[in-house]
Amino acid sequence: MPRYGMVIDLDRCVGCRACMEACKVENNTPQAIFWMYLFRFEEGEFPATRISFLPRPCMHCDNAPCVKVCPTGARYKRDDGLVATNADACIGSRYCVAACPYGVNSFNWKEPKANYYLDWSAPSAAQALKPVTAGAVPPYDNPDLDRKWGKEQRKIAGGGHRQGIVEKCTFCVQRVEKGLKPACVTACPVSALEFGDLDDPASAVSRRLRSDRSFRLREDFGTEPRVHYIGAARAGTGAREIEQPKGATA
Amino acid sequence: MAITRRTFLKGSAVAGGTSALASFLAGGPKTLVASAQQPAAATAGEDFVPTTCWIGKQDCGMLARRINGRVVSFTGHPDHPRNVGTLCPKGVAQVMAIYDPNRVQTPLIRTNEKGKSGTWRRASWDEALTLVGQKIKEVRARDKRLLIWQKGRSKAGAFYDNAFVKASGATGLGHGAYCSDAGYRAAEYTIGPHGVLHPDFRHTKYLISWGWNVTNAGGNKFCFITWPQQLVQAKERGMKVVVIDPRLRGAGPFADEWLPIRPGTDLALALSFASVLIEKGYVDRGYLAKYTNSPYLVKEDGTFLRVDGKEQVWDPASGSAKPVGAAGVEPALEGEFTVGGAKVKTAYQLFKEHVAKSTPEWAAGVCGVPAADIRRIATELGENALIGHTVVVDGVTLPHRPVSVMAYHMAQQEQGFEAIRAMIMVFMLLGAMEAVGGVRIDFTWKPYANYEKLDQIKIKDPPYNIYLGDSKYFPINSKLPGIVAKVMQNPAKYGVDYTPEVMILHMANPLGSFASQADFIAAYKKFKFVAVIDPWLSETADYFADVVLPAATIEKYEGPLGASDQYVDATTLRVPPMKPLFQSRPEIEIYMDLCEKAGILYGKDGYLDQVNQALKLKDAYKLDLGAKPAVRDIFDRWAKSEGIAEGVAYFEKKGVKAKGAFPAKKFYGFAQSPPFNGKTHRLYGESLLRYQREMKAKGAEKVYWQDYTAFPTWRPPTKDASPAAYDLTLISYKLVEFKQSRSSFIPLLAELAPEQRLEINPKTAKAKGVKDGDMVWVESQNALTGETRKVKVRARLTEGIRPDTAGMPHHYGMWTHPSAKGQGPTANTLFFTGEGYVTNTADQSFQVQVKVWKA
Repeated sequence: MPRYGMVIDLDRCVGCRACMEACKVENNTPQAIFWMYLFRFEEGEFPATRISFLPRPCMHCDNAPCVKVCPTGARYKRDDGLVATNADACIGSRYCVAACPYGVNSFNWKEPKANYYLDWSAPSAAQALKPVTAGAVPPYDNPDLDRKWGKEQRKIAGGGHRQGIVEKCTFCVQRVEKGLKPACVTACPVSALEFGDLDDPASAVSRRLRSDRSFRLREDFGTEPRVHYIGAARAGTGAREIEQPKGATA
Repeated sequence: MAITRRTFLKGSAVAGGTSALASFLAGGPKTLVASAQQPAAATAGEDFVPTTCWIGKQDCGMLARRINGRVVSFTGHPDHPRNVGTLCPKGVAQVMAIYDPNRVQTPLIRTNEKGKSGTWRRASWDEALTLVGQKIKEVRARDKRLLIWQKGRSKAGAFYDNAFVKASGATGLGHGAYCSDAGYRAAEYTIGPHGVLHPDFRHTKYLISWGWNVTNAGGNKFCFITWPQQLVQAKERGMKVVVIDPRLRGAGPFADEWLPIRPGTDLALALSFASVLIEKGYVDRGYLAKYTNSPYLVKEDGTFLRVDGKEQVWDPASGSAKPVGAAGVEPALEGEFTVGGAKVKTAYQLFKEHVAKSTPEWAAGVCGVPAADIRRIATELGENALIGHTVVVDGVTLPHRPVSVMAYHMAQQEQGFEAIRAMIMVFMLLGAMEAVGGVRIDFTWKPYANYEKLDQIKIKDPPYNIYLGDSKYFPINSKLPGIVAKVMQNPAKYGVDYTPEVMILHMANPLGSFASQADFIAAYKKFKFVAVIDPWLSETADYFADVVLPAATIEKYEGPLGASDQYVDATTLRVPPMKPLFQSRPEIEIYMDLCEKAGILYGKDGYLDQVNQALKLKDAYKLDLGAKPAVRDIFDRWAKSEGIAEGVAYFEKKGVKAKGAFPAKKFYGFAQSPPFNGKTHRLYGESLLRYQREMKAKGAEKVYWQDYTAFPTWRPPTKDASPAAYDLTLISYKLVEFKQSRSSFIPLLAELAPEQRLEINPKTAKAKGVKDGDMVWVESQNALTGETRKVKVRARLTEGIRPDTAGMPHHYGMWTHPSAKGQGPTANTLFFTGEGYVTNTADQSFQVQVKVWKA
């Protein structure tokens, strides 16, 4: 059984947010919901100014607070380390939202199908697109998200995005189970993100963890994140977030 | 202000030695391994089609993932040298743009008067094409000059810029003069190839990132991914990056050191670097004497000493002047001599004297950068240049000068041509132009026709053409659409005796993307007929189109497209991952139909004949000049003509044709025989001085000729004459989320960067009573005409900008697309064009003095 994890090299990151965008398209997340989020930070005073970037997916913690507080067991830890959300079992208690110190959970306040940027069901759009999209909303709808995955055969890949339930980064379980890497990792123009089996000494993640000093976000919480950061371009405590996306709640 | 965090390998004492680099261009020290994988088809109905990004300019390779023929995502093509399996946010987001129901779905014909928002009726393709074709036919029959073809970006130059413009006889206008064309002109004139300046990243150890927006934009030749990839690898090898830019945000964490320079003073800083290099002896005298016009003897009147038409150098051995290139002569690089009773100096001697007064102390006052930093950076450049060191590449011994510069949009200032020329001279002193690790202009060593043309311009008397080519105003001329707009408003003032009547706009939105908006609105009212070819209803179409022809986006065959990352040669096509949506059609089909209707498709010199020539099709594959081909068939012929036996099917299956690494012999100018193909690098711009004199003699005013000087010469930019109340310099720049003015309405991208902002320093804001997030008025002032323009925009405070500078990205300001509403204004409403706000080569400046107050 692999032990999946991610390594993020802050010295490579150019802050372009291709990771966020690749996540949005692959996982069809509705407007203003970002499973992958990239912070852009500024600190210091002119001219001693510093800029840094921080990509933040779900940490897929080994000691995940969200799993502990979930009243229905919808949030659970898989054998391979992925922290999954069973859409069929989530009741929208939002305990996970409160428990997670990294702010990675999003609650679907709106009906997702009505929250895909443009009005895809307006007659002018629906009629013109139907021959090509067969009515899919959004038109780039990824059918893998509504499938059941893993030995448990649960809807954990976004589950079709339903109103009243919580969703978050799945490490692109629908890709990982096909032997692919998460969409954010694949898109990254400078290979700042790496994904793989932390137990395999030959994997890219293991190699990078061996060659560089690494840290994890808020290790003092004891959450044991599966996301490791390397590189010196780390924001200091006085950093201010700049250039927030629209509606971002991260 | 040093913010060094990374180890920096200082220039070691290896100067004079020779070292060998193994496996140089064929692989080399790649530390970046693409994470991309070839996806395995596992979902029902799933397949992958190779294609090419439609948004940016570098045409990254992509795989379209399809489910039952419906495209659901784009990922990077793993074999494409430019993006090796990765993709930027724009490339990813275009999947939503394709399906956008706000695309123009059918041909449209205007039903209301022009100059305001359009109302339209849907038309059949035949009706629309017939209408446009007849207008082209009618206007060509009277006077071909009355037809203008204006592009924003064309993704298949052979078919559009080349074949259509030639077949129709239209005046073709591009967007380059808003981009970096002044830099192209500077590099073509001074060195020869067609490009601006970029590093030989695999070997550069010390990089000046001069205005390079590395985390948001590509720099020379590329729009994003390729340069950041090469930068990251170079940094991991220990390359130092010095950023010269009024804003830090562009380079972000990649700045080892930041020199926040005052906008518009880059030329002064370059001259100062040159003065320090000369003072400290960091001069590659061998290169200057052999491959540049530095040793040419210059008379007191500024012209070269010529005997029987041949330029002369000083031969110290015989104590006499000898013709350039005379056998056995080792010319003096510096000195003053007397020839035939006349005093002469070498060009290099004059350059030394020219830059001697540009001390770091002087430049500090002009540029707002501490003198000690200027002196230190110049010294580090000198140390790291390893003058005298050589390296063996592919069996060829070449100069090794691992210092370089990325300078591209630096050209977008009033003295852009002169500033880039001065930067080239800094690296000429170091012998780093086209040396290993040094400064490059194009991907390979390829002298461009402009090297000769720009030196031999015959300045004419009026009447002039609409862009003032060969005129006393802009003898070197990048065909600025803003100048065309100025001239159209008052042709007589510029000695132009006609006004164009018909315009075809190809994927261009001058009202949004070109400065200045007010001039385009005034000028375009004069066109009698405007046809727009575009997937979306641009703001320009909204106000001025008579007919809109809906173009496909990525759903078409288009190309051929270069795919080189500068080290590896490759070529590709855009292959349609689906049929054109709505009633849109591929541009190549549209042009063929338009040409047929206009009577210029068939026969000799017709569009098909021009396509044959533009694609350089071998005889066996030439198009029949009497029959309209399918677009796919044209590319099949092209591929076969290029020696790809499978034809277009190769690209449909594989997407990109890699041709292997460039050999050093093709790559480096120094590796040619003779080096640089004998093109002498122009330290001294004798012809520029000649143009100045001819312009004066023909009565041109100082504003036109003042920057035509033999050496780049700094002067305060025109904008500095604005009243003191206009206390900030506005600059514009690019966000990584958008490409030009045609993507801020793509909802996935607009979400990432939702609103226009004015970036100002917190100290400046405090003095003006402005807080972060406040709405402010920004008013610009034209220092020559006194005209003012203002917009309201949200202020964003940042410590990453000079207190005397304000910044606004050049996107936004659109109104036709529902997703673009409320995003705020474009900076192009504030900039001016024409005298004082363009270069001496007719290229746009994006700098203007503004005042800011709380709204």
